Amino acid sequence: MLLNGVRRAAIALSGSSGIAVGINGTEKEHTMVCSLRESVHLVSDPKNLDASVEEVFKLMLGVNCQRYTGPVESAEPESVTAVVGFGGLLSGACVFRSGASAAIRIATHMTGMEFTEVDDTVKDGIGEICNMLAGTWKSKVPNLAANCGLSIPAVISGRDYNMHVQAPEFKLHHTFKFDGASFEVTILCDGLQ
Amino acid sequence: MSEIRTLIVDDSSVMRKIVERSLRQAGLESLVVFEAGSGVEGLDLLKIQHVDLILSDINMPSMDGLEFLRQLRGQNLAPGVPVVMITTESSEEHVKQAIQSGAQGYIRKPFTVDQVRERVLPLLNAA
Repeated sequence: MLLNGVRRAAIALSGSSGIAVGINGTEKEHTMVCSLRESVHLVSDPKNLDASVEEVFKLMLGVNCQRYTGPVESAEPESVTAVVGFGGLLSGACVFRSGASAAIRIATHMTGMEFTEVDDTVKDGIGEICNMLAGTWKSKVPNLAANCGLSIPAVISGRDYNMHVQAPEFKLHHTFKFDGASFEVTILCDGLQ
Repeated sequence: MSEIRTLIVDDSSVMRKIVERSLRQAGLESLVVFEAGSGVEGLDLLKIQHVDLILSDINMPSMDGLEFLRQLRGQNLAPGVPVVMITTESSEEHVKQAIQSGAQGYIRKPFTVDQVRERVLPLLNAA
């Protein structure tokens, strides 16, 4: 339900920001015939996700962050999930999920402030991280950058919740670590034009 | 450099702080910052405050950054004040739209302090 809402917002944004409507008739025509089908290998390239995460964390937090492929430790009871929807030639979502302690550590790096709990500022920071991850990831593929809009981030925090997504067209799901903290980033694509 | 009165428009309070910190690190130490959480708030603030520089996000609820920019120019608020868009949207189309709407600069998030310095300081020197 949340994901559907986020995607609808992204589709609306992609329209309002002129992604499907060019400056003049020629560009409009060009936009209408544009397709990502021939770039699907680029869109689903897992290296783009890793590079995006490393770039965002290096530039915005000043930390080195790398993909982790080992066994994932048992999850903390409280977690934070941020979702940014994609709309346009690609529909889907970028999902960030971490335990509360990693979310707090990320917000501390971003703001220089100390936090003892997942408050509104921490959630705001995690939403922005997810927004930048989504934007950086889509900028790796030229057609995607120009023809795919982003929704405003939605952030959920709490205990004992699950996110369910019906079979996507493709899914990238990677775990990353920095300073001993871990988090997951998932790219879900449920439609590619 | 003398006091620079700056309006930062972003729905994220964390991003507003990061932008402010980056401006200071870029050399704008004498900064007086006004914050707005939306384009509407930004327009209201400009009716009562004079600023020297405006930085605005694009993806915002209720009124996005491009609409804020159009209304800013349409209502002739802050005439001659440079506007820099700071956003995750990085395609040529988005940059073109921002410039056509009246922006003088464009910074893609995530950004470095050097990028802020290179794209903001020349606008202040030229103003």
